Parts: sequence; structure tokens; C-alpha cells
Amino acid sequence: MQAWNDKQALYQQLADRLAARLLDGEIAEGQAMPSVRALAGHYLLNPLTVSRALQALDEQGLLENRRGLGLYVRPGALQRLRQAERDHFLQHEWPVLRARLRRLGLGAEQLQWENP
Amino acid sequence: MSHTITDQPLLRAQGLTVQYGSKRAVDNLSFDIPKGRVVGLLGHNGAGKTSLLKAIVGLIAGQGSLSVLGLDPRAQRVELLQSLAYIPDVAILPRWARVSELVDLMSGLHPRFSAERARTLLRRTSVGLDDKVKNLSKGMVVQVHLALVAAIDARLLILDEPTLGLDVLSRKSFYEMLIDEWCDGERTVIISTHQVEEIEALLSDVMMLNEGQLVLYISLQDLEQRFVALGHDAATADAIAAAHPLLRYRVQGGQAALFDGKPPADVLAMGQRLRPSLVDLFVALTRRPEISRTQGV
Repeated sequence: MQAWNDKQALYQQLADRLAARLLDGEIAEGQAMPSVRALAGHYLLNPLTVSRALQALDEQGLLENRRGLGLYVRPGALQRLRQAERDHFLQHEWPVLRARLRRLGLGAEQLQWENP
Repeated sequence: MSHTITDQPLLRAQGLTVQYGSKRAVDNLSFDIPKGRVVGLLGHNGAGKTSLLKAIVGLIAGQGSLSVLGLDPRAQRVELLQSLAYIPDVAILPRWARVSELVDLMSGLHPRFSAERARTLLRRTSVGLDDKVKNLSKGMVVQVHLALVAAIDARLLILDEPTLGLDVLSRKSFYEMLIDEWCDGERTVIISTHQVEEIEALLSDVMMLNEGQLVLYISLQDLEQRFVALGHDAATADAIAAAHPLLRYRVQGGQAALFDGKPPADVLAMGQRLRPSLVDLFVALTRRPEISRTQGV
């Protein structure tokens, strides 16, 4: 079945997964979000949980409600989301990572940016 | 506030008791279930789950009051069954029949059954209309059962251990069909199960029974607010234990404690907030760790 972790509330985990799909361009700007029902069936989640996840994305300014049509990805959402994720990375994840790299004596030349 | 007929709960129990001889299988339960919910009914064997479900569908009599879809399940059973669908844990379909014959049979039996809808739902499964029940796997039989039941224009669906004995894939298809075809925000489903972990994400509410009594009935959203699970390491174990958690248990990479309500800030600061799981909560509230977190998965 779907794997959810025990670190965060389910709606938050779904919001994160949907945000990742936006960043990957799987759901494009100006496009309709999948319906609550479709998401609930796909992720095997209660529809209320799905609604909360969509609400969380809406509160981040990523979605817009088109009357009678449902939720759409707001133009500029991608930029906004990427900026938020970058800020989060630089503020919270990078300091930890940098400390670890320093401890291991790893510099930029060892990290091979270009070759995956 | 105005209370029209639609504001009434789908189901209301007040002081409901079901007694077999001197044993109280269901002991003085009072609760409301509104429309549009997915309620998980959890309990050990003998906790009273099946008795409660049987009382709801009018198969056994109870004391106290019970109203289902505004009806008395004993006195108005025929009327009730037009808007209620029930798959008991011992559900069987006639082995000699073809699936298409079952669809015809249901059309004749149930005034709100749509044969067209049943055929549409069956197309989602790997079962063919010409297949005979006796040639179907257990998982397929359960799928047929759900398709037949979901084709009834009912408002309340009762499932007693619906996926018992099914493999993972069949259970997944079953739940997909349930979410897609049943959960429309209006209809309610009550599911009793042992497989707590795999239905947790599907539920809107959980109801826990222990020895006939209701030990917890809460929405999953409220549950996350009320109960606090805290992951911590061995060094803080004593201090955490001193704060009287409901339960202490092991998690990947360490230990955890479950609190009813927020522990003091200094205790909270010793660990990392985790999502409280239904299994742990169930163990904590019933003190009988029989439900395995990996059972059947």
C-alpha cells in the first residue's frame, strides 16, 4: 500500500508530494489540479485529508479556485514554490549538510556536480 | 441553529446495550455518526464489534435507543434495508451462479439496485460477467460483492472485516473501489477490521471498542491534536517515563512515548513530535497488544 511516514501528519505528507509533482512539472501552471476524489483514490487517503492538503497548498498561494471549475495551479506557482523550497534548504538543511561536509573534509571538487 | 431533517446524524445510539445471557457484548454505548464519514471500528476479538454492527442492521435486538437513517432497525428493518448495505464477515455468494445472474438477481431483489452501475463497476475488476462464482478467487469474490453493494443507492454501508484472508493486491483494489465509488461526502461507511494500519489513512473517524465499551471515538483530525507522540533517545527515557505517557514503544532508530494531551514543555523539548499511529493508540487504550502492526501486510 502507500507508504506514509510517522513523522508528519498525512495531509502534510500529501501536500509535500503534490508540491514535488508541481516542481517536477508533472502538474503545470494554469492546469487543473486533480479532483479530491481522484487524489483520494490514487493515494488511498480519506477525502478530508486530501482537502486539507489542497488547502495547505492554497494557503501557500500555489492554487486558485476558479468558480465552478475547481482548483487550478496559479500562474507563478512554480517560481514561488521553488523560492520557498530554496529558502528552506538554505536556512535549515544546508547548515547541517555543510557541517557534515566539513567534518568529512569534502570540498566542491569532490562532489562532482556535473556527473550524476 | 436550524435543524432540518438532513442535519440529523445518519446514526444515533443512546445507551445501547446488547446482552447475551449475563454477558454484555455491547455495553451502554452512546454516539452519533454523521453523513459523509468513513468510520473505522476497531476492537479485539470479542470486543463487541460484530454485535454492534448486527444491532445497527437490525439482526439482533438491543436495549437503549438506536436510530439508523432515522429508523428503528428492528421495527422498520425492511424500510431500513432499502438505504443500508451490509457485507457481513461471513458473506458468501452462491457458488453455482454466474456473475451476470447475480446482477439479475439483485435487480429483482433490491428496489434501489442499478444493474447498469453494477456492470460498470465490475468492468473495473478482473472479473467477467460470465464467470462462475465457484471459479473466482477469494479476492475476486469480495470485489464482486462490493460492486454489487456499491450499485445500491444506499446511504450507509457496513463492512465487517471486508478484506479478511485477501492478498495485498486484492485489498488495495478493494479500498480503491471503496474510495472511488462510495465516498462522495454524503454516504457513510463503517468498517470493522483488524488490519488497522492499512485502513488508517482511509478513515475520517475511529471508534475503539474494548469489552463492549467505547474507549475512544474521535475524528482523525482531532486525534492528531489531542494525542502527542514523541520520539526520543535512550538518554531521556527516564525523564519521559516520569511524565506518565499512556504508552512507551519502540520506533525505527529509537524509542517513543504516547501522551494523552500535551506533556509539559520541558518534556516536549526532549523529543521529536511524531504522528501518533492508530495501532499504538489502540494498544495503549486496550492494554492488549494483540493487533500486530504487520498483521497480514
